[in-house]
Amino acid sequence: MAADNEVEPGEEQLVLHPRAVRFDWSNLPLHWVPGDPQTTHTINVLHLLLPEGERWFVRVFKQALPLIADERLRTDVLGFIGQEALHAEAHSGVADHLAAHGLDASPFTRQVEWMFRRLLGDRDLHGKAAEEWLVERLAIIAAIEHFTAFLGQWILDASGLDAAGADPTMLDLLRWHGAEEVEHRSVAYDLFCHLDGRYTRRTRAMSIVAPVMLWLFVRGTRFLMCNDPQLGGRDKARLRQLRAASARGTLPTLRGMLGEVRPYFTRSFHPSQYGSTERAIAYLASSPAAQAAEAQQ
Amino acid sequence: MTLTGGPMATGVPKYPSDLRGRPRRDRLMSSLEAVVSVYQRISAYSGRRRRPVTPVSRDRELVVDRMRTEAEDVVSLRLTAPDGATLPAWRPGAHLDVVLPSGCVRQYSLCGDTADTRAYRIAVRRLPGGTGSGEVHEELRPGSRVTVRGPRNAFPLAPARSYLFVAGGIGITPILPMVRAAAARGADWQLVYTGRTTASMPFIDELTRIDPRRVWIRPDTEYGIPASGAELLERAPEGAAAYCCGPTPMITSLRVDRPASRVRSLHFERFGPPPISDGAPFEIELARSGRVLPVPADHSALDVVREAVPDVAYSCRQGHCGTCAVGLISGTVEHRDRVLPEPERENTMMICVSRATGRVVVDL
Ligand code: FES
Ligand SMILES: [Fe+2]
Ligand SMILES: [Fe+2]
Repeated sequence: MAADNEVEPGEEQLVLHPRAVRFDWSNLPLHWVPGDPQTTHTINVLHLLLPEGERWFVRVFKQALPLIADERLRTDVLGFIGQEALHAEAHSGVADHLAAHGLDASPFTRQVEWMFRRLLGDRDLHGKAAEEWLVERLAIIAAIEHFTAFLGQWILDASGLDAAGADPTMLDLLRWHGAEEVEHRSVAYDLFCHLDGRYTRRTRAMSIVAPVMLWLFVRGTRFLMCNDPQLGGRDKARLRQLRAASARGTLPTLRGMLGEVRPYFTRSFHPSQYGSTERAIAYLASSPAAQAAEAQQ
Repeated sequence: MTLTGGPMATGVPKYPSDLRGRPRRDRLMSSLEAVVSVYQRISAYSGRRRRPVTPVSRDRELVVDRMRTEAEDVVSLRLTAPDGATLPAWRPGAHLDVVLPSGCVRQYSLCGDTADTRAYRIAVRRLPGGTGSGEVHEELRPGSRVTVRGPRNAFPLAPARSYLFVAGGIGITPILPMVRAAAARGADWQLVYTGRTTASMPFIDELTRIDPRRVWIRPDTEYGIPASGAELLERAPEGAAAYCCGPTPMITSLRVDRPASRVRSLHFERFGPPPISDGAPFEIELARSGRVLPVPADHSALDVVREAVPDVAYSCRQGHCGTCAVGLISGTVEHRDRVLPEPERENTMMICVSRATGRVVVDL
């Protein structure tokens, strides 16, 4: 999937700024990809993971500010923080909405909270140990951001979801978020490289992140399918369904996702080599939510 | 289902239960716990050979190669590398941070040709009492050296089939390369260029040469001050993306009249947060150092705190992202943000927009 796009000149010069988007979910059906609960719930896992996950990015990045000795990178990091903070809020709005449909996701979100606040929190460390744990977490974030950039680009191009009649407001949320992920795809990587950059540290983070992310998505999808009141436990998450959804273009292919890991293990990897800032800018220029946010300022 | 605590909460949660509520430790969670504790130990070990952070300077020294008067009170500067080397490529809408000899930094849009890889062009209007612009006009001469940072782009031009460009006076600088790009792409475009008099408006010839039929030069002396945004939007092609740069009242009028026009989306450059119009001065005390900083009426608390605490976090500077939240110890805050939930207003303050009466003490 990761086509070797040419790095367009001047692309990396984009100034990042958070957009104060608002969404109204009061008319969102539970199965917002009509007739396709599995696709709906696989994507819904994002709404359960991202609020806590992205707030964690924000806390970790804020801690890294005093270590940065590059004014331009600092500016990018500040832009990144604001974008992630608003992503978290936007997704948590959807998570709240699931409850309105009688789908109680709290057993899952309590685990997510615990993971990001406790397990990946500050762990009561001090001094040098605290600083290393900080750098290690930046390596983890850089690895996660590799996937969010991939997914961001994927959702921008996912015409399969339009064809399947997916809810337009939900698509706008996903694509606004995806476009900002593409916009800021180099920041976490550059920050890690500025503070450390060693190949072993970068790739070992990826070796943990990739399987854990996969595991979280699988169990999240299964959890939501099991607890969906409209399915009444009849319909289970199935690999076959995932394959069908990938074929329809409503979900990325498993192979595409896993193949995405490989370039991260090359020494010359840089996020700017993948994805298209041009495409992201084009979407943000037409996104209803992003446009409404700009119009208000 | 609500995540406990919302955006500001960092409270440490209890060990979560199994997903199906069975009375045993969750398999994924307990495996992760083991993995992470090993991982953390490895990370401490890795630290031993981590090289110290190398400071990065992105300053670039350029030479003023040529200066030209483009209109009344407007000069353009052609900047090149001292050794004539190629400069980083840029896209329409990009700007340069220019460090003037006095040390003051100003942002100027690049208004030259994106294909020219050996020179940047900026244009500067002398503003009455403007320190930066006065310095450019009076102190810089061909051969002067200036330090620049960038280019960076906060005003990117998105691909579209049709465009409306609206520029007011010196606001033409970012628009000019956009017009060229749109023309080169074969898009359907129109430019409305306003100003006081034609003599005060730079680059008229350059623009009309691109395509005289698509350029409307609109000086107030001939047409009067624009009555409304609608007038400026009239020439827009159907479904156009509008890119505008000019004085704030012009942008506001365009925003007001945009919905009733043929323009589909409106884009303008943001230069930091909007000016503070209804602020009163107050004081902010940083509890950790005991310092008391006066906040003038036309500055935000963040502006002032940033001087004292360079690592303070912020992002949007408009009260909507929550990044600049600081713990509030005492004082009466007038909350002006859009993120802070009611219960947290007691003990948190968004220093980018919120103000206070008298003195506030914050946890910084
Ligand atoms: S910086 Fe975004 S709320 Fe203050
Ligand atoms: Fe995000
Ligand atoms: Fe991100």
